[in-house]
Amino acid sequence: MASYHGNPHSEPAKMEQIITEFFAKSLHIILESRSPYVSSRNYSGEQVLSSPSPSPSSSSSSSSSFRPRDKWFNLALRDCPAALENIDFWRQSNLEPMIVDVILVQTPLNFSPKRGPARNSSSGKDRHFYGSDTDEFGSEAKSEKIIERWILQYESKKSAGGGSSTSSSSGSSSKRSGNTSSHALYKKSILLLRSLYATIRLLPAYKLFRDLISSAQIRLYNLGHRVSSFVEPFTRREEADMQKFVFTPVETSCGRLCLSVLYRSSVLDLSSEPSTPISPQFIQEYVGSPMAEPLKRFPSGPISQSSPSSSSPFGRRHSWSYDIYRESPSSANPSPSPTYSEAPIHRLPPSSLPRHLHDDTSSVVAHVKNPSYDEYWPSPMFSPSPSPSPPTNVTGVSHMPKAILRYSSMPSLPNKQPRFDQLTVPKELFTLSKDEPGNMLGVKPSSNSSLSFQDDSEFSGAFVLDDEDDTTDPGSRQGSFDLACGPHTSFPVKKSQDAAVGALVHMLKKATPLHQEISVVHHMQEDTTATTSSNLALSKTTADAFEELRLYREMKDSLLKQGKKNIPQA
Amino acid sequence: MNCEVCQLKELDIEHFEIREVLRCILHTVLFHRALGLVRPKDIDLELFEITYVQCGDVELERKIDEKIDQFIDRVEKHPNKKNQICLSFYEVKNKQATWFTNKVERLYWEQWYINLNVAQHPKGISGKSYSSKVVVDPGAESRSARRAALETSLRDVLFQIIRFVNEKKDHIPPIPNLEGVSFPYEITISSSSDSAFGMDMLKRMLQTGHPTMLS
Repeated sequence: MASYHGNPHSEPAKMEQIITEFFAKSLHIILESRSPYVSSRNYSGEQVLSSPSPSPSSSSSSSSSFRPRDKWFNLALRDCPAALENIDFWRQSNLEPMIVDVILVQTPLNFSPKRGPARNSSSGKDRHFYGSDTDEFGSEAKSEKIIERWILQYESKKSAGGGSSTSSSSGSSSKRSGNTSSHALYKKSILLLRSLYATIRLLPAYKLFRDLISSAQIRLYNLGHRVSSFVEPFTRREEADMQKFVFTPVETSCGRLCLSVLYRSSVLDLSSEPSTPISPQFIQEYVGSPMAEPLKRFPSGPISQSSPSSSSPFGRRHSWSYDIYRESPSSANPSPSPTYSEAPIHRLPPSSLPRHLHDDTSSVVAHVKNPSYDEYWPSPMFSPSPSPSPPTNVTGVSHMPKAILRYSSMPSLPNKQPRFDQLTVPKELFTLSKDEPGNMLGVKPSSNSSLSFQDDSEFSGAFVLDDEDDTTDPGSRQGSFDLACGPHTSFPVKKSQDAAVGALVHMLKKATPLHQEISVVHHMQEDTTATTSSNLALSKTTADAFEELRLYREMKDSLLKQGKKNIPQA
Repeated sequence: MNCEVCQLKELDIEHFEIREVLRCILHTVLFHRALGLVRPKDIDLELFEITYVQCGDVELERKIDEKIDQFIDRVEKHPNKKNQICLSFYEVKNKQATWFTNKVERLYWEQWYINLNVAQHPKGISGKSYSSKVVVDPGAESRSARRAALETSLRDVLFQIIRFVNEKKDHIPPIPNLEGVSFPYEITISSSSDSAFGMDMLKRMLQTGHPTMLS
């Protein structure tokens, strides 16, 4: 059976171990089919339509051998890093209840793969960071909604505190005949987990998950989750929308193991949204980002590492690289840090933010709450108004040049003056976005999807490793993550919708000398104090643009001169 | 030892839906009774927005498909309305007195009755193709409504299975081995007219010895 078999430990210890593992397994089952990142289904052709003769090998996708963890409850599951990380936190909590909220996040751009759970939940104070209230930044066209709440708890009969269940059970269990109770508990736990496994696939949210991971279509929603040990009660109205399914508790000699789920039955209404007016806008934006163009611009840049391989089947996965890019500024670019401090961060202690940002597993919910984070999203929805930027916006809009700089693997540059090399980006944006979305999608994946694809294998590799020793080492994970996404080929660019920008862009388009590549490259090589402030250009009038253009010309000339001086030396 | 019996809600299905519906139900039950080490496999139904779980046992899959073939065969030969499939789990006990006759006794501890009402197609049997053709005719709408209703019912049946599994746990014998499909099982088909139905059951009970008589 499992590892408790033949365990010399006492009966209560065995039971506690079973209960602990039960929690871990339950969480694994839940997140495996709710957290879109590690999709068990497209792991390796696991998603078999009911066909008369499914391939025999499909039953053992990742490996034919069973790992020790698989043997618990005789149920072999696929890797789910989200579950692994969360269970580590829970294991320290002395059989506290475990509440897993599955959150539907609706936003045109929120593609966070949700690989990672609410990492913040690993420490008590951070948990407050996630509220179910979604209107804090109501202007954002984004909503989150708890669509499922799984509640696992072990109700100890004797003691009030869950932590003392060991000591309390030692007395009571002696009345029963030794092994039978733990055997019975184990068998019933197996049954309960089988039920959970089947049930979770029948609930409405599963369809969302399935669509998220299986279709190449861009979805306007994502699923997030939050694991905590306390219940944040629903409002009466919320609760009215929820249905409840209570699994029959497993009685033990010293308590009972309870599992129940509150779920929203109307989830499906929300999923039928890909046709909202936002979507074409988004695609344009998405595609118009410099992801593809810099390839041409800096062919020798690090992006060239990403093979121009398979594209379309991985359409959905693009989101992953998006996520990567949302994370990357924190580690790669020192300049955003001021933004964090001045951003209206609520409830989250500043000290925990960097960790959060560095954390590749940070959750959707976190993004929702953190506007500074949002600024890295290429969303028109979140763009500030086209009017002159408020001070906090400076870094927010300035990621366009950052993107460029990143492509050329230059260090981040402080804000100084707008420069022509940055202004060429809007030009590209403009021309690109005129194309058919389809075409654009055709372009972009060449750099992007292959990346994601690599991510996939890299991740699984890393996590398989993690599985072997069953440890959760954020550091190593981060490492493999970085490795996987090494070449930062894509970076979301925010486009102002102001007509002035269009005019400016037009102008720049005609200013041929400005995008001679050689000068751009010179810039990149020469000037480490360059600027990241194309945002200015975005928010200014045509007159301003002309003025800037003139400045650029002068700058270019001077730099070209410098460059000529330096090149012979180099 | 008592035998728990679960009568699953009757489903009104059409001929081309038999295979998917039966697979879905049988595999779901067996997944809940495969208490050995399994690596579950998700299967999306083609006709319905339903995902069920198989326990990833090729042999089991083959057996189930075999039985479904038999069932379809019966339905075609005897187009009567009541069709029942029984999935039974048992323990094998050697009868002391008759061991030399190689007679083993099956102690049934659980039986699942799947009740299907296969509609008779006016156009006759449409063969084995169970593709959901989108036919533009006035009946299309009612057909999709019927399909949706069946999907709901099938989902109900799956939840019925899950509830049953949840509520009844004490009658399950100890897990005999670590193989995925841990308990011996049999799938029997009773496709007979209403009148003969009871007789058929009685015969089967006499043959196998009804578990309640033995307990």
